[in-house]
Amino acid sequence: MLALVGYPFCLALYFSISNASVQESVSTFTGLDNFLAVAGDSVFQRALLNSFIFTFGSGIVKAILGTSLAFLLLRPFRARKVIRGFLMLPWTLPIALSILAWKFGMFDPQFSVVNWTAAHLGLIHEPYPNWLGDPIYAMIAVMTVNIWRGFPFSAIIVLAGLTSIPSDIIDAARVDGANWWDRWHSVMVPMIAPILFVGLLFDVVFTFTDLSVVYLLTNGGPINATDILPTLAFRTGVVGGSLGRGSAIALFMLPLLVVAVIVMLRTLRRRDI
Amino acid sequence: MAVASRSQPASRLVLRRKTVERGLSYLALAFFMFIALFPIFWMLMTSIKNDYDLVDPNLTPFWFQRPLTLGHYEYLFTATKFGTWLGNTFLISACVVAITLAVCIPGSYALARLRFFGAENLGIGIFLTYIVPPTILFLPLARVVATAGLYNSKWGLVLVYPTFTIPFCLWLLAGFFRTVPLEIEEAALVDGCNRLQAVLRVVLPLSMAGILTVAIFAFTLGMQEFVYALTFVSSSAEKPVTLGVVTDLIRGDVYFWGSLMAGALLAGVPVAILYNFFLDYFVEGITGGALK
Repeated sequence: MLALVGYPFCLALYFSISNASVQESVSTFTGLDNFLAVAGDSVFQRALLNSFIFTFGSGIVKAILGTSLAFLLLRPFRARKVIRGFLMLPWTLPIALSILAWKFGMFDPQFSVVNWTAAHLGLIHEPYPNWLGDPIYAMIAVMTVNIWRGFPFSAIIVLAGLTSIPSDIIDAARVDGANWWDRWHSVMVPMIAPILFVGLLFDVVFTFTDLSVVYLLTNGGPINATDILPTLAFRTGVVGGSLGRGSAIALFMLPLLVVAVIVMLRTLRRRDI
Repeated sequence: MAVASRSQPASRLVLRRKTVERGLSYLALAFFMFIALFPIFWMLMTSIKNDYDLVDPNLTPFWFQRPLTLGHYEYLFTATKFGTWLGNTFLISACVVAITLAVCIPGSYALARLRFFGAENLGIGIFLTYIVPPTILFLPLARVVATAGLYNSKWGLVLVYPTFTIPFCLWLLAGFFRTVPLEIEEAALVDGCNRLQAVLRVVLPLSMAGILTVAIFAFTLGMQEFVYALTFVSSSAEKPVTLGVVTDLIRGDVYFWGSLMAGALLAGVPVAILYNFFLDYFVEGITGGALK
C-alpha cells in the first residue's frame, strides 16, 4: 500500500517543489516557486473558486434530491428492487460514457433536446441558449451532469441510514404528535448523522477531485469559465508537460481532503464507544 | 357539500388521504425515473435511429420516423477498433481482479484476525487512502509508469489500477472475514489443521460471497476508470473501451452519433448491471464504519 499510494504521493510533493517536466528527467529544487506562481495566476484563482462552486453547489442539490428519493424508496411498493436498479443507472454507468448523452443530446448547440423541448413548449425563443458555449450556462451544465450522476448515490446512502432506524421509534414520535419535519429533524437526522456525514464527505471528495465530467463536457472552457483544479492540473501537467506546476495545482486540493480525513477519522472512531 | 363530507366516516377519509399520498409518491417516483433514465433512453434511440432522422432538426428527438437500424452497431464492430478496446478492458480488469485478490485475501485476513498493536488504526488508514484521488496521483504515477517502461501500454494500467481497488477491497473483505466465527477456525486448528489449512479449507469457503463481491467490485472499478487511461495511454490499440469511445469515436459529426451511442451503451450497460448486484455491499462498505 505504501508503495502504491505513498510513493506516488511523496513524488507529487517532490514534483511540486521542483521544476520537473516531461522532457527532462533531471530537475532542480525550486522551493515554493511553483506554489507562488500558481497562486498568483488568475486562471488558477478562477479554477479554485469554480471547484468550490461546483462541489458545494451541486452537493446541496444532490442532498435534497437524494433525501427525497430515499423517502420515496423507503416504503414498500411493487417491483421496488427493479425500479431502484433503474434509478441507480446514472451512478452505475461509467460516467465517461454516459456523459456523451449530455454532450451530444442535451447540450449540443444545434440539436439540444433541452432546447428543442423548451422551444416547442414555447418556453424559450431564438437565440436558444448555447449550453456549453456560454460561461454561466456551461457551469450550470457541468453541475447538472454531476447532480444527475450523483443523486442516486446520495439517495442510497440516506436510504441505508433510514432503513437502520427501528420503525417503532418513528411510530413513537408520531404518537407523541411530531409532524414529518420534527420526525426528520429531531429523530431521524440525529440517529443517522454519522452515515449522512460519511456519505456527504465521500460525495464532496469525489466531486471536488473529479476530472471526467468537466474534462469531457467543456474541457474547462469557454475560456476557463468551467475550469476546476483537476482539469487545470491535467492541462498543465499532462498536456503542457509541466509536472511541477501541475502537481502544485493538484496539491491545492489537499487541504480539503485533509479536513475530510480528519472528520472521517473522528466519525469512524466514535463507533467504538 | 361540507356537511356531507363531515358526515363521512373517519376511516374513509383516512383511506382517501392514503390513496392521494400514494398517488403523489408514485408521481414523484415517475419524475425521478424520468430524470434518471431520459439521457440513457436518448442514447438508445440515437443508437438505433436512421441517420436522416438524426440530422433533421424539425423531427422530435424523442422518437423515430424512418425504420430503425442496427447499422450503427455493425459499423462499430467492422470499421472501428471497438472490439479491441473491449478486449483490452476485459484483459485489464481481469488482471486487476487477480492482483487485488492476491493482495486482499491475505491482507484482509490479517486485518480481521491478527491482534497486533494498531491493527484497527491500520485498517482505517488503509481505507482512507481510498480517498486520495487519481487527480493528485496521476502526475507522479506517470513518472512511475514511464520508468517501468509501460507508458502507452495497457499493462501500465494493470500496474496502476490496483492503487484504487486494493484499499476499498481490503476494507470490504476484512468485514466479511470478521463474520466468520472464530470458533469454527479454532475447531479446525484443534482437529489438526495448521493455520494455513484452516484458512484455505474453512475460512475461504465460508467467505466465498465476500470474495466474489470484492472481485466484481474490482472488476467494475477497472472497467469504469477513465482518468489514468486518459493520462497514460494514447495509442489506439492499447486503449480500454471507456477511453477509446470518447477519444477515437468523437468527431462532432451528427452522422457518427449513432455509433458513438451504440459503443457507449454496449460498454456501459454490462458494467451498470454488474455494479447493481453488489450495490448493497458497496453501500455497506462506505457506511459500515459509521453504522456500528
